[in-house]
Amino acid sequence: MIQAIGTYLPPWGAAARREQGIDEDTVTMAVAAGLLALSGSDAGAVSSVVLVTHDLPLLEGGNSAALLGGLGLDDTVEVREQIGGAPAALSAVLSAAPGTLVIGADLGPGAGAAAALVGERGLELTKSGRINRSMPVATRDDHGAQSDYADPRLLRERGLGVSLERLGFDGKASVVAGLTGKDAASLTMGDAPQLPTTGASSALFALAALADRRDGGRILAVEQANVVAADLGGGSVTVNRDEVEARPAPKVRPIPGSDLNISLAAYERAFDAKLRLEAAKCTNCGTLSYPHRYRCLVCGSEAPTDTVDLPRDAEIYTQATIHVPVPGLSVPYTVVLAELGDTGVRTLVRLTGAAAGSTSIGDRGRMVFRRVAIRSGVPDYGYAFYPSVKAEVAA
Amino acid sequence: MRKVAMVGAGMTQFGELFGLGIKDMLPMALTEAVDSVDKGFNRHDIQAAWFGEIVATDGFASGILADTCGLLDIPVSRLENACATGNDAIRHGVMAVASGYYDVVLVMGADKVRETSTRSTFWDWMSQTRDMAWDFPLGLVAPANFALHAARYLHESPATREHLAMVAVKNHHHGVTNPKAQMRFEITIEQVLNAPMVCEPFGLYDCTPQSDGAASVILVSEDIVDRYTDRPVWVHGFGLGMDRVMHQHKPDMTTFPPTVRAAKQAYAMAGIGPADVDVAEVHDCFTGVELINYEDLGFCDKFDAYKLVEAGETSVGGRIPVNPSGGLKAKGHPPGATGVAQCFELFEQLRGHSTNQVDGARIALAHNIGGPTAVSAITILGADKP
Repeated sequence: MIQAIGTYLPPWGAAARREQGIDEDTVTMAVAAGLLALSGSDAGAVSSVVLVTHDLPLLEGGNSAALLGGLGLDDTVEVREQIGGAPAALSAVLSAAPGTLVIGADLGPGAGAAAALVGERGLELTKSGRINRSMPVATRDDHGAQSDYADPRLLRERGLGVSLERLGFDGKASVVAGLTGKDAASLTMGDAPQLPTTGASSALFALAALADRRDGGRILAVEQANVVAADLGGGSVTVNRDEVEARPAPKVRPIPGSDLNISLAAYERAFDAKLRLEAAKCTNCGTLSYPHRYRCLVCGSEAPTDTVDLPRDAEIYTQATIHVPVPGLSVPYTVVLAELGDTGVRTLVRLTGAAAGSTSIGDRGRMVFRRVAIRSGVPDYGYAFYPSVKAEVAA
Repeated sequence: MRKVAMVGAGMTQFGELFGLGIKDMLPMALTEAVDSVDKGFNRHDIQAAWFGEIVATDGFASGILADTCGLLDIPVSRLENACATGNDAIRHGVMAVASGYYDVVLVMGADKVRETSTRSTFWDWMSQTRDMAWDFPLGLVAPANFALHAARYLHESPATREHLAMVAVKNHHHGVTNPKAQMRFEITIEQVLNAPMVCEPFGLYDCTPQSDGAASVILVSEDIVDRYTDRPVWVHGFGLGMDRVMHQHKPDMTTFPPTVRAAKQAYAMAGIGPADVDVAEVHDCFTGVELINYEDLGFCDKFDAYKLVEAGETSVGGRIPVNPSGGLKAKGHPPGATGVAQCFELFEQLRGHSTNQVDGARIALAHNIGGPTAVSAITILGADKP
């Protein structure tokens, strides 16, 4: 049973084909979608997270800690990082035990992420077919370089066509994930929802689209000649969407220069506070410190501190927009000193979701999980300020 | 404690001194200070030296001073305290003489900013401003540290970008007559406002240039001052103030608390108040910083700084002339040298020799802020023995 669904589309690019922002990757988009699926649920009820994508940022050591940090889940939760497209994501949902959060995330063109929380109640989803056949028209080598065999008719007839024949499907599906345009239209009924992505997340966007209709239906998830099919049964599910209207990404100028270096020792010390937006609370006087300090800002206590979550709503106390070329960075960019909720705690972060310099002191917004920088090849995650006036979350 | 007198001061030209290395600039600045001593000065009278340099160029800093200046027989210590390095180095020299340990000390400051390309300077000098995990990846370059203050200041005070521009126009005007200044040309408010944006709210002309340079002063005890001059400049007071290093932990960004702390110490030591200051050299690395300094130093009430610059009160000829040398803005800003060079200018002012003389100046104040915005050093000098 699907208990909740969350979807996230970056605000940039064309309506049908989004592009991730320069501070986004599959992990940050997975967090955005995952948090929407988890909103209203008890995070303690999640025992497992499955991330399906073709674009895992870290292949060694993995992305699980960053993912759990951004999602606010305990670091003991199981994470499975899985390479795959729409069929893999739909399969993951079908085989998931209750308490599993399945997330699909895709880089652009057609960037986005969607997540489904599998539970004991909600929308019923059952497998109606699966077939794994090989027609590798698109491939990647060890270094990520892609090749395209470039024979769509072969793929259609001898790849997908034969697979569907073998499954015994002759009717039309309600929605097909993994294909676009005519290819999708030929397999679906006339009013099939248009999906914004074609990778792993598309299967979950398809689920969200049918869930909204509350009218059952069949999902086909397709990648090359692999197909997974599932049917929606009874029950209903809440879909939380963050899919603001698409707009052109702000123009920035990448300045040549060496990669920013990193101290992994400093990275490790800051990791939890930075990725979980956690302040230290003085056990003597209650003062919040962010980042954590050995000695309290106010009373000077050096006793061990408590950890508290900081609010995500924020207001700009002051800001600066850098236009001058800074090697290794893209300019212009805005840094914001944001005050969090009514805590009095401020954090210095980048502006995201809006053009540099487009905000004013006093603007309100929220803290969102982003890739602050890539340093010595390491994605350096943290939070950024997303102004609310620039992006009303679609209902 | 003994009274301490300044008997000599020198500085190199400030600017993009591509033809000079740190090993050239240091002996040049010392020789000029030696030559400025009225009754003559033998450099072997120097018993100890302090060298303010923020980023070491060409290697081991204090060793380079000892070697290139021919001072191998005395102790030399390098001091680094962000952009407050210069006036803090002077503070150390003053304490060494006042305490009785030494009778004659040398204080030098220098930096060679243009030893690296203009672009890479941002990162090469980031060691002053970065917390490796939190601030560094954001691209918190030096102008941004001050722009965060100035943006909030403009938000809360009646001052506008035009008032920032007035500071630039004034300091460029002051710099025109200073032969040591890097930028000896007049600018207009329109030029400042229409210049390319560097870091909002600072355009190109709101910012100090990148500079090389060295400066030096010779400090002696009251007991032997007569050997060197009959008109010394006296050290009346000093102060060094600190603050939280991360902007996240500074509750009010419209002020620099380190300046307030340093000023309180320095005024108390000198037994004066801000109204007694006849001329000041303050840290104007960015125009908005000079306005905030007026308030933190007590030259006007909170958020009234715009009135001073609007009425020309901080121009030479006004009530409290600020940066008659052109300031960091026009004279240039090799950070380690800046505070020492401020005292060079005030040495000239208090002896009546400045190229941009403030009539009748008897009390003068030098001020640095840096760190970023987490340290300030102040020196108060006087024409009369305290």
